[in-house]
Amino acid sequence: MTQANSTNEPVAIKGRSWLSAVGQSLRLVAGDSFALAGLTILFAFIVIAILAPYISPYEPFKAMMTETGRLNRLSPPTSAHLLGTTSFGNDVLSQFLHGFRIALLVGLVAAVAVGFISTVVGVISGYFGGYVDDILMRITDIALSIPTLPFAIVAVALLGPSVENIILVITILFWRNGARIIRSAVLTERERVYVKWARAAGASHFQIIMRHILPNIVRVIFLWVTMSVAFAVLTEASLSFLGLGDPTVVSWGQMLNTAFSSGNLRTAWWWVIPPSVALVMLVSSLYLIGRAYEEQTNPRLRVRK
Amino acid sequence: MRAYILRRLAQSVLVVWAVTTIMFFMFRVMPADPTAMLLERGLSEQAREKLLQEWGLTGTLWDQYIAYLANILQGDFGNSFLYRKPVWDVLTPLIINTLWIAVPGLLLGAALGAVLGTAVGWARRGGKLERMGIFLATVIRGVPNFVIGIALLTIFSSTLGWFPEFGMGDPGDRTGFARYFTLEFLHHLALPLIAVIIYFMPENLLLMRSGVVENRTEDYIELVRAKGVPQSRVAWHAARNSMLPLITWLFPALAETIAGIVVIEIVFSWPGVGRELVFAVSRQDYPLAQAAFFLLAVMIVLANLAADLVYGKLDPRVVYK
Repeated sequence: MTQANSTNEPVAIKGRSWLSAVGQSLRLVAGDSFALAGLTILFAFIVIAILAPYISPYEPFKAMMTETGRLNRLSPPTSAHLLGTTSFGNDVLSQFLHGFRIALLVGLVAAVAVGFISTVVGVISGYFGGYVDDILMRITDIALSIPTLPFAIVAVALLGPSVENIILVITILFWRNGARIIRSAVLTERERVYVKWARAAGASHFQIIMRHILPNIVRVIFLWVTMSVAFAVLTEASLSFLGLGDPTVVSWGQMLNTAFSSGNLRTAWWWVIPPSVALVMLVSSLYLIGRAYEEQTNPRLRVRK
Repeated sequence: MRAYILRRLAQSVLVVWAVTTIMFFMFRVMPADPTAMLLERGLSEQAREKLLQEWGLTGTLWDQYIAYLANILQGDFGNSFLYRKPVWDVLTPLIINTLWIAVPGLLLGAALGAVLGTAVGWARRGGKLERMGIFLATVIRGVPNFVIGIALLTIFSSTLGWFPEFGMGDPGDRTGFARYFTLEFLHHLALPLIAVIIYFMPENLLLMRSGVVENRTEDYIELVRAKGVPQSRVAWHAARNSMLPLITWLFPALAETIAGIVVIEIVFSWPGVGRELVFAVSRQDYPLAQAAFFLLAVMIVLANLAADLVYGKLDPRVVYK
């Protein structure tokens, strides 16, 4: 659509700008100190994930040798190995840093996929209603009765444990709840007066969805994507902890699995604590962002001034 | 009301059918060799043929699907490769073990969450107690359950030696339910149970807190306050009315607990359904894995059904259509 055209458009069709909708969402989050702390941690984690291969001192799977030429197993932190070594003689710090990449890669890619599918299903179902809604919601009902972790375990085992398959399985699992939530947001939005005006002014369904419905439910989508990152990180970590992670990359769950199954939980604290703390920090930050958001957008929870 | 129950029942049957169909495709179509799902490797050609016939694995995919549904309708999931006995004989005792940590864990977690949630919800808005309560609950909610398990195990059993490190204890010569009522069993039960409680408490707390915050500005609370009863009694009024979402949440949460408890069972070597599912999958004992998965899915369907029916009983505002 050209510039000239859009200025001649009736105001009722024009709707709300995406930029302002997204900006408002970010301002809401930044207004809460816990959420701001969460955002800061998330940002720091992303930076570490990007830099991981450049700042990690060794190759994550390289076996370290002592000066006498033996495998440097279970060494406590030293100046050469700031976080010690594993029972296979791998440098814990290097493994730990590479773990940032997998956690965030799986978390962000799966969440974007989940957000996309939830939005498409939720908007179509909520906006058009009728048969389409019935069919899509029955499919969602069925998807909702699939036990989450057992499905992930079986599916990853059958498909083969790789990062791509883990992301695929997480996407299959978490679109269902999002579709429900987004659908109910669309249902209330659809009945608003401005939507009826836009319709009366001759806007197409596509225009209404893109310019009126979507910008006004950005906050719901944003919340669901944030929570999905947390669920994805948790699911990947659980699968890796159960020994179903991608064996070719290092992840925090897998580090803990190795420490656990080799019976070194108690002694090798330097091996256990970093991945545990990082997982808790990452998931909690996402929950803090999500919670602040929920609080700000629910008028009944807002502090009355 | 009756029509609603019937409709919900029919819907549940439909969902179970759909889940079994998904399972059929997962287990039978995805492995490279579909017969690998039900047949052990290394069988003689004759035994293999016989089993193929018996399991209806000889015809087209459609024939196989019909045979599969017929078997499931009769409750026949076949024999476990590893244990060499019907899968239900393997799974039945494990269900009880799983329920032993899931049900008390969830109920205690919900009760604790409700009490703490009321306290946080009743605290001054924007005050220290409210902020700390929310912060801690959100952070604890973010701790993966295997990290909770590892922490409990390292601190309380490996280091302090207060609790045993794994398993359920030796039942000795006690059989049946008698084996669950010994100090030894309770001693083994403690840590996994605490892990489940810690895992579920924060979500309850936050749910309860939102309810109390929403209710505390309602007119009926003003009325109770005006009667001059003590603060704790007033809070109790708000708490009672905030429990509804908690109770509906409990049923699906139970189903999700049973499913999600897998990891806690693994950490504490607790012999439950979830742990067996992980073992079955890694040993490629497909009949066992399939039955365990089916069991967990049916539990979720039943829990959702129960939640819908109970909600209507408890909340007079709900009208069945």
